[in-house]
Amino acid sequence: MASLHTLAFEIGTEEIPAFDLDQATKQLEKLAPAALDGARIPHGAVAVYSSPRRLIVMASDVADETEALVEDYKGPSVKIAFDEEGNPTKAAVGFARGKGVDASALEVRDGYVHAVKNVPAQPVRELLPSVLESLITDISWPKSCRWGVRTEYFSRPVRWLVALLDDEVVPVEFAGLTSDRTTRGHRVLAPGEHEIDTAARLLDVVRAGFVVPSQEERERIIREGVAAAEAQTGARAELPAKTLLEVTNLCEYPTVLVGTFDEEFLQVPEEIIVDAMLMHQRYFPLYDADGKLTNHFLVVSNGDPKAASVITGGNERVVRARLSDAKFFYDEDRKRPLESYVEKLDTVVFQEQLGTVRAKTDRIVALADHIAAVAQFSDADAADAHRAAYLCKADLVTNAVIEFTSVQGVMGSYYAEASGENDQVAHAIADHYRPRFSGDEPPASAVGRAVAMADKLDTICGLFAVGQGPTGSSDPFALRRSALGILTMLLGDASLPVPLVPAVDAALSAYAAQGIDFDVDAVRAEVVDFFITRTKVMLRDEGNAADTIDAVLAVGVQEPAEFVLRVRALERVRAEEPEAFDDLATAYARANNLRDADAGMDFDEGMLCEVEHALSCAVVQAEGRVARALEADDYAAALEELASLRKPVDLFFERIMVMDEDLAVRANRMKLLNRFVSVFKDVADFGKMAKQAG
Amino acid sequence: MALNEEKAPQQAPTFQDIIMNLQRYWASCGCVILQPYDNEVGAGTNAPATTLRSLGPDTWRTAYVQGCRRPTDGRYGENPNRTQFYYQFQVLMKPSPDNIQDLYLGSLRAIGIDTDVHDVRFVEDDWESPTLGAWGLGWEVWIDGMEVTQFTYFQQVGGFECSPVPVEIAYGLERLTMYIQGVDSMFDIVWACGDDGVVFTYGDVYQENERQYSAYNFEAADTDFLFQEFNDREEECQRTLAAGLPLPAYDSVLKCCHAFNLLDARGVISATERMAYILRVRTLAKACCASYMEHVVGLKPAEEGEEAHRG
Repeated sequence: MASLHTLAFEIGTEEIPAFDLDQATKQLEKLAPAALDGARIPHGAVAVYSSPRRLIVMASDVADETEALVEDYKGPSVKIAFDEEGNPTKAAVGFARGKGVDASALEVRDGYVHAVKNVPAQPVRELLPSVLESLITDISWPKSCRWGVRTEYFSRPVRWLVALLDDEVVPVEFAGLTSDRTTRGHRVLAPGEHEIDTAARLLDVVRAGFVVPSQEERERIIREGVAAAEAQTGARAELPAKTLLEVTNLCEYPTVLVGTFDEEFLQVPEEIIVDAMLMHQRYFPLYDADGKLTNHFLVVSNGDPKAASVITGGNERVVRARLSDAKFFYDEDRKRPLESYVEKLDTVVFQEQLGTVRAKTDRIVALADHIAAVAQFSDADAADAHRAAYLCKADLVTNAVIEFTSVQGVMGSYYAEASGENDQVAHAIADHYRPRFSGDEPPASAVGRAVAMADKLDTICGLFAVGQGPTGSSDPFALRRSALGILTMLLGDASLPVPLVPAVDAALSAYAAQGIDFDVDAVRAEVVDFFITRTKVMLRDEGNAADTIDAVLAVGVQEPAEFVLRVRALERVRAEEPEAFDDLATAYARANNLRDADAGMDFDEGMLCEVEHALSCAVVQAEGRVARALEADDYAAALEELASLRKPVDLFFERIMVMDEDLAVRANRMKLLNRFVSVFKDVADFGKMAKQAG
Repeated sequence: MALNEEKAPQQAPTFQDIIMNLQRYWASCGCVILQPYDNEVGAGTNAPATTLRSLGPDTWRTAYVQGCRRPTDGRYGENPNRTQFYYQFQVLMKPSPDNIQDLYLGSLRAIGIDTDVHDVRFVEDDWESPTLGAWGLGWEVWIDGMEVTQFTYFQQVGGFECSPVPVEIAYGLERLTMYIQGVDSMFDIVWACGDDGVVFTYGDVYQENERQYSAYNFEAADTDFLFQEFNDREEECQRTLAAGLPLPAYDSVLKCCHAFNLLDARGVISATERMAYILRVRTLAKACCASYMEHVVGLKPAEEGEEAHRG
């Protein structure tokens, strides 16, 4: 006469941070069914709900009892389990103890002993308290705190617990609280406690308390509100995912309101206004049909919809104050030329051991000069790169950037224009932080790329020099991203024709000249290795075969660009002529295994038979051509040359017995194989691509 | 806006009304109403009634107005939102009461903010003071998008676990008053209004101070004297600690902080020296907390709490 029940569990809290709430909800979706299953509680669907002040688990079809269970464990064989007199051995006793039964209770079946345990059905009511308590403590938070006199931790203080199995309270205890049947409503719209008669009604009571207890649903309401506001204003809103999630988890009962600010503030660069609204206030800016910022914005309110005009007015005042600050800063900043801020960069620490951003600026300039020279910039471009490098960090000490940090670079370019710098310099300043993330566009101009590369490479080299390179999952200075950015600029369609290693040398010598003490050779090797590893990861992500990458890497390539070109070329020919390359790799591996490196390469032409002669001719010809192709950076041609060796070497192995009884003949063949293998040495280790023998 | 304009300025509470109402409200919640600490501090948190009294097991409840000095924020009285001296209203309750959020909302109503018609939000904002070896979790409180209060459950002070946990509530009095009175410049805040209609504004009281102190902080303060003062006070702090007197020793920490802030405003501390000075202040502050734990709380010196944040 088993009946099924609804389980409702609510952890009531003070406001949980938006992103932590999102994570906790996702965790609970796994933890809750797992906890029920772990206690073998039969249950139906489990659903998780949340708002900033609560986490809710609802489980349907929860049974009264767990199923009674017969557990049958197979133990040692009869031979081992009993001695000659038929008494249980140590092995049998140990097995029985391990399973919690008496040795005399072991059963014999099919030549083995079995421990059989009857686990009786358990009442779910008795199991639930500890299951639910474990849910509270099993959520992991990025940060958690204690409160009052309690020693327990949670994201923010827990203030109430609801735990109901149908109309019955399940007693759950945590941090001095005992579960009950009262939840709490929205702070303003339905303050205070609200009683729940039965578990299935929990969500109804919460909803009646003006709380939308689901992130998805709040997001949908917000999106609908945004759409309505767009229709009302004829403008279009930008909803960055991060801000949208934050806003969704900053309210229990969202209402979208339209605010307006004075048009005069539209003279301030758009980026500052957007930063002020999105980053600081979590407002969504509205754009017109041409993508231009309008003087309207959207606020997601958690207040009473009836108080909309007061709330809108308050938010408009905040925007007004922020934007007048922004305008004040922008106007003040432009009273002096951008150049005049450079000296003040000596008040900004770049990194404790590496000195100030002023010192960094000098290094970026030197490195940008190096890049411009190597890449053979025109005089005008070289001058622009030098100038942009000198000015690229200057905006960090302007008021606008101190206040609105996300506009660094962009403000520099506005101020550069206002100070009479040319367009290319101004754009390079804005662009030099690019690419900011994987997939972001690199700077538009070569000048911008030169400055961006100089800045990023300086950061990477400096942090490696003081032992702050990334380790494992820790990469606080985002050096991996910077390295990837440099790689993008060295490899892309409009790549900088600049070898990396000499640029690393230039960057490190600038630090050495500044008096930073480090082992230049060791750090250089670390940095080059770091780039090669990043390149490897990038090549893997592109879908190149691991053995191709390893084959190219094995010949000791240091330049990422060369590495990438070689891998791509090798992958291409492997794809075009798969069999030929498999055979070649196999022949190479075979020759490499057979050969005796000490035998030298000077084979005696006169001793060669026809098949050997054919190989020797092919090898000698390929040798010269491969060398010339590599000289000309034509890796694909070098690979084609190697491919031409496939037929003669196949024939050689087919017809010739290397291990001839005549030692002189054998030695001569060894020399020929050595010569064959040596043709590959600067191209790739083909042995890595050989199919495993067998 | 509508609400604020409906209320004519003279009907809105004055600056001193707001202070007195907050004092009365928190007094009714059982707090000791202290008068401002008579030493320069950068924030209400730095007054010993918060920093030191957060430590140890004893119940403590206090509320006080604290004038705060941030020399680099001086704008010669020309910026409507930024000054080198301003007031905080500080509440500290240990252990944190279970209904503290409701108590806080009650305090807003006590100063004339009808929370029913506003959007009051608790937005994640964790607090950390490397100089004090202190951190806590909490929020900034927004009213219709305006940040008016910091709300923090202290977890650690001076490297010691806080047990029980104190809650700190710090109101920015000028900002709150600007909001309530509906004015856009803090110098337009009505501080007092007599029955005869004579009004004193914040500007009447403090604009000249801002002009003079900004000039002093940025231009006139004697840097040699301040460097010397920092060194002398550091020594005095250590000497006082050696005498087992953490409370007066802590005054020297505050003096060091203020000297450092003035030197910073004078632009004579390079970016790299900065860290070294901050480290010196931190060493002193933590030593005072350790001494307080030993001499006032009665904890053996060896039992220092771990410093790592809990993940």
